[in-house]
Amino acid sequence: MLKREVAKRVFAKEFEACRELEKSARSASETADSKSPNLLISPLGLILNRVFAIGVLTELDSIGTQNEMWKARIVDPTGAFTVYAGQYQPDASIFFSTVQVPAFIALTGKARIYEPEPGSVFISIRAEEANVVDEELRNRWVVDTAEQTVDRLEAFSDALACGYHGETLREYLLERGISGELAEGISIALERERSPQEFAKQLRASIREGLSALNFESEDPAGAKADQKEFVLELLREMGGGKGVDYASFVDAAVSRGVPEELVEEVVRSLLSGGQCYEPKIGIIRLVG
Amino acid sequence: MDEKIAPQLEELTRALGDLEKSGIRAEFDKLLAFRVPPEVAKESILRKFGGKRKVLKVKDLSASLKNFEITGRILDIGEKALRPQEGVHEGPSRLYTGVLADETGSVMFSSWRELPGSVGDVINVRNAYTRLWQNRIRLSIGEQSLVSKVSDSSLPPLSELSESPAKKLIDIGAADFSVRTVACVLQLSHREVLVRGKQSKVISGVLADETGRLPFSAWVELPGIDIGSIIRIEGAQIRMFRGMPSINILSSTKVSSVGSEEAESLAFTFESAAKDPAPLKIEEIDSRDSMFDIAAAGNVVSVRPGSGIISRCPECSRVVQKSNCRAHGKVEGVRDMRIKAILDDGTGAMSVMFPRELAESIYGKTLEEAEQLMFSDISKDAVYEDLRRFLTGRYLAVRGNSSKGEYGISFVAESAWVPEDDLAVRVVELLHRLGQDEEEPGSVVSGGGISLA
Repeated sequence: MLKREVAKRVFAKEFEACRELEKSARSASETADSKSPNLLISPLGLILNRVFAIGVLTELDSIGTQNEMWKARIVDPTGAFTVYAGQYQPDASIFFSTVQVPAFIALTGKARIYEPEPGSVFISIRAEEANVVDEELRNRWVVDTAEQTVDRLEAFSDALACGYHGETLREYLLERGISGELAEGISIALERERSPQEFAKQLRASIREGLSALNFESEDPAGAKADQKEFVLELLREMGGGKGVDYASFVDAAVSRGVPEELVEEVVRSLLSGGQCYEPKIGIIRLVG
Repeated sequence: MDEKIAPQLEELTRALGDLEKSGIRAEFDKLLAFRVPPEVAKESILRKFGGKRKVLKVKDLSASLKNFEITGRILDIGEKALRPQEGVHEGPSRLYTGVLADETGSVMFSSWRELPGSVGDVINVRNAYTRLWQNRIRLSIGEQSLVSKVSDSSLPPLSELSESPAKKLIDIGAADFSVRTVACVLQLSHREVLVRGKQSKVISGVLADETGRLPFSAWVELPGIDIGSIIRIEGAQIRMFRGMPSINILSSTKVSSVGSEEAESLAFTFESAAKDPAPLKIEEIDSRDSMFDIAAAGNVVSVRPGSGIISRCPECSRVVQKSNCRAHGKVEGVRDMRIKAILDDGTGAMSVMFPRELAESIYGKTLEEAEQLMFSDISKDAVYEDLRRFLTGRYLAVRGNSSKGEYGISFVAESAWVPEDDLAVRVVELLHRLGQDEEEPGSVVSGGGISLA
């Protein structure tokens, strides 16, 4: 059966840490199919090829010389995806030739891995389809992705805690209601990962930050701090945040209006991880939208 | 020569057992006679006969499986002589058909070879395959299959297996033909239809239990049974219609009301069964051959070509290209609008079909408005392009029926909406699950390179 491959939900941080999954590492069931795609595996055992992400398009370059080729950077609360679209991805190429930076965009694509020499690995997405979306959809993606990642993190810690390996581990996970693919992924990931807990811990921290930074319009922000946050954001807009503001002078301006420096930093940090502003160049911050 | 092929033969024996007996050796020699290198010949043989054993139960069978092993008791067997095809010089071939059962269910089979057993015997079939025949799954035992009789089997005896099994609605599938179940009537309507020139009354409706819903039809009167009744059905026939099982109540079927006392011990009530279905993960939908009246939600990751304004044949409603119907030739097409989109929730992907009313309401444009767009633009794909810009990435929930085909799940939507669940609540829940690790404050924040020290 020719099944469409599922578009996995994964944060940039986990995506970037993916490595190639050799076909030989997989069990019998799938390997027979020569049409199976090139798969990657994350440190948490997520096996993936197609992904779906919603984030902020912060950079877009036309890097093709003879042929059309676009390189884009899409930021989520944990990091950034590097995205390419060339002449063989006409839909995505046309999209990138018309879109304005910055914008919230939704993207489907396939994971590519490039390893010019051992130790240096470049993971990117070859775009299939992309579209401009709104912040609400982005927030939903973050929450959906966080849920699926947390499910994975929990299965992963469970696997670490149980102390089983290989086939026994797979059976154990299946019994716990983990899907066959993830059970297999986790048992492979545990074989190859040297310090699995470390990555899981970092990812947890990133997701927590990212979730806390989400901005729900309908939500009533908590008290005075939120007002000040609003004030900092307003100030950033006033100073031309849409075009880019020098970070140091922005902090000075805010402090001179009575906002404590730590709070300015905190707000900027949450804006950055929330994808509402980004850094086109080191030391310059710019608002999205 | 022998020296060269010895290791290959050894490997084959290890994987497939006795080569001489099963005729695999002859097959192997045939390939060698055609000067196929032994190494390659070994691989083809392994591929054909399936080196790795996949043992399935009847309930695991689905359409187009290959190369598996199954053990079951023969419930019924008959034999048919087939006329030889023209140009084939062999004598008339015989086809053996019947029913094979194990503790998980029963399946019709057809065999091209004589089986080493008769009614009541347990047989083991290796290298069997399945086909879809008259809308149901059929186990096929071909020339390449290895069949052996199992004399000491732990399978339940014939009398027990031939009873129609008790099933929850969700477990009823293409492999069943007679079932016993307890369910609640959700919908019910009377119709008169013409069957072979005779006017007959038929009752059709929807049954539900705690696991799912299925359509039913009754060709007999159902006295005292109405919407809300909880009924026990014994010996109902399962029919497949467009890949969807449907429960058929015939004169041989026993239908009785479930008393209120017993109803209390059931895992469902009319109220719980009549609730709108909660969205399922697409992964779950993918694990079933078909599902009736379910809901799912996900992102539209792709709007497929063929969406937008289409033209249909006025006679047969087929989609026509360039005013040419496949069945009716040159026709004046009737315009219609539809959307075919891939809905993906990260656990699975399915192709969802939105018929006109739904397409109009999701798109926010009526067929006429879309036509305006089509006429005002030079590109003939203007509506499709506009739909893609509008829908790609959006989040939608759908309700309808799913069935699995050659290209994965196809889902026909009967309603669609934008779910409005409270993200803030889910965030609180997630933060709770993530826990507050004992961590140094101000841990590394990714996403920005500004040093905030």
